Amino acid sequence: MSSFRILRSVRMSAVVRDRPVHLLDHWTRSNSQNLGSLSLRRWLHGSQIQRHGNVTRPDPGTGIKLHFKDSKGKLLKTIEANEGDDILSLAHEHDIDLEGACEGSVACSTCHVVLSPEHYDLLPEPSDDENDMLDMAFGLTDTSRLGCQVHVTREMDEMTATLPSATRNMFVDGKKPTHH
Amino acid sequence: MPPPVKLAIIGGGPSAFYVASRLLSLLPLKDPMSPPLRVHMYDRLWAPHGLVRYGVAPDHPEVKNCTNKFDTTATDPRFRFFGNVNVGSTPLHSIPHALHLPLTSILNNYSHLLFATGCTMPTLHPAIPPSVYCIPALSLVHWYTQHPSQPPPPALDKISHLTLIGQGNVSLDIARILLTSSSVLRQYDVPEHVLEVLSRSTVKHVSIVGRRGPLEAAFTTKELREMINLPEASMVPIEPTLLTPPSGVTLTRQQRRTLELLQKGSKNRPGSTPKSWSLHFYRSPASLTLPSSASALDMANLTLAHTCLDPATHRAVSTGETSTLLTSLVVTSLGFHADPETTFFDPALRHLRSSAGRITSSDGSALKNMYASGWAANGAKGVLASTMIDAYAVAGTILSDIAPSSEAVTAAAPPPPEMEMAPDELLDCRPDLDALPPEIVHGIKDGMVTQYDDWKVIDAEEVRRGGALGKERERMGWDEALSFIALSRARP
Repeated sequence: MSSFRILRSVRMSAVVRDRPVHLLDHWTRSNSQNLGSLSLRRWLHGSQIQRHGNVTRPDPGTGIKLHFKDSKGKLLKTIEANEGDDILSLAHEHDIDLEGACEGSVACSTCHVVLSPEHYDLLPEPSDDENDMLDMAFGLTDTSRLGCQVHVTREMDEMTATLPSATRNMFVDGKKPTHH
Repeated sequence: MPPPVKLAIIGGGPSAFYVASRLLSLLPLKDPMSPPLRVHMYDRLWAPHGLVRYGVAPDHPEVKNCTNKFDTTATDPRFRFFGNVNVGSTPLHSIPHALHLPLTSILNNYSHLLFATGCTMPTLHPAIPPSVYCIPALSLVHWYTQHPSQPPPPALDKISHLTLIGQGNVSLDIARILLTSSSVLRQYDVPEHVLEVLSRSTVKHVSIVGRRGPLEAAFTTKELREMINLPEASMVPIEPTLLTPPSGVTLTRQQRRTLELLQKGSKNRPGSTPKSWSLHFYRSPASLTLPSSASALDMANLTLAHTCLDPATHRAVSTGETSTLLTSLVVTSLGFHADPETTFFDPALRHLRSSAGRITSSDGSALKNMYASGWAANGAKGVLASTMIDAYAVAGTILSDIAPSSEAVTAAAPPPPEMEMAPDELLDCRPDLDALPPEIVHGIKDGMVTQYDDWKVIDAEEVRRGGALGKERERMGWDEALSFIALSRARP
């Protein structure tokens, strides 16, 4: 397995570090803005991958308090965050069972969380891209966001992020009436 | 100590990997309470990751980030991957080089079995069978992803008008690829030979036909927005009456946002771009009349039946009217179904017969230690997130069978149903954990079976070759991969 591990790290560096830079070069040369800026932004989001799992924990008692709850409202963990940390990275850092299949590039809805309403209102409006993904999230509520897009600020102290319920029937529930 | 568990997973796509990943992480290697466990994954393709590699559109590279997690799963010493192995009763015609492994060889070597075989067959339209003028969308997807089934390249340099039947995301993927300049696509994971054909494309217009209305369209807002924002194409405006929801209907959030996008129309003004596209609602193909002369430049005549929604059933019913559309190529994109050759295939469901993650016999009772997940179990619907949630639920079901006292099996878990052993499909309840079916042992020796380390060698080389060309990746075909793996094994 050792050769495999080395190859993996080579590939990761190519994907995470080199490629966005490469694309930047490409787009400064290219004139097609629409698709370009979209892709580019996604890649910049993608560069946040590097931070996953290595969020710096603030000194106990000094950070912004966040409560993670399961879908039944049971408290899973209260954690402390620094300004600017995103909820997906924080969840990974603290072993909360929140997926990030696309690794924070706004291409899936697996990091969907439900926020406490008073804190939800403090956030900037979700982007079109985020809303498009929320359209596909299961158990969507009025205060749903993608965890990767929620960056913590001081005023969000004591915010609750609840993991949505996922049922086995989501293939049925999450879908519009079938064809045929 | 719970009894040892040796699980075979047939299929190496996202559902398979998410089940494997969940199971291996819920039963940590170092936990003395974990049963001795092996997870062996078999894929009929030589490369892993199923639709993530051979289905996701090349200009959606972010979606492929999930393979990082799959790579991590594959580092677990209890996990093994065997590629280019087709498990089933008959050899695979579409991929002749795949090693044939009868299901009995799996049953004789494993205690548990998961079918994550997906939906690999395109659903065709009965009124317009495949011909030179009508191909399934899957053959285009397989062409631009360099799938081992090697469909012929489409003659894009000889056609001007293409019609897609079906309004799902696969349909929009194809439309987007055809309406995007090859100079933009060049940076992505698009093979050079595909780019070469795309660069010579003379396609000017793509019509996207659906038998129901905008509220029933299966595409997602993300994909629709990408179409709306295409830099070199514009959308033919849609009749406003079609975009007014019937009174008394409460729209879902997605429906409301879809209508808003369609009302706003494309970013580029209609008629201002060299390429264009249109959505045709309430139209269902009735027939395709091929041109009389053999010249490929002649267009075929697609007759479309006009339809409306039956208010009670929400099905499309014909109004009796028809219209015709001149088109150079019809591409049917009407969904997928499981391979009827798969054991436990249910012809009525068009996927495997299963209930809550367990394979069931024809009388509905669950078969012991046999499971199904993903599209194989549920049909071809849902995005990656739904596949993941389903896979985690199936992993939970497997866990409740193999480690009922495990902490991860909560008190709330439903009790297992009445189960029976399949009379002719007996799994081995005391398997030799590290033994492999003899066919696989031979296949590995002959170099015909790929393992995950082999894939990582290919993966790194594909990315390296891509980098040299200024793109994400340049793919290898089987022959090239085969000799490259042999070379890398020969190196000290």
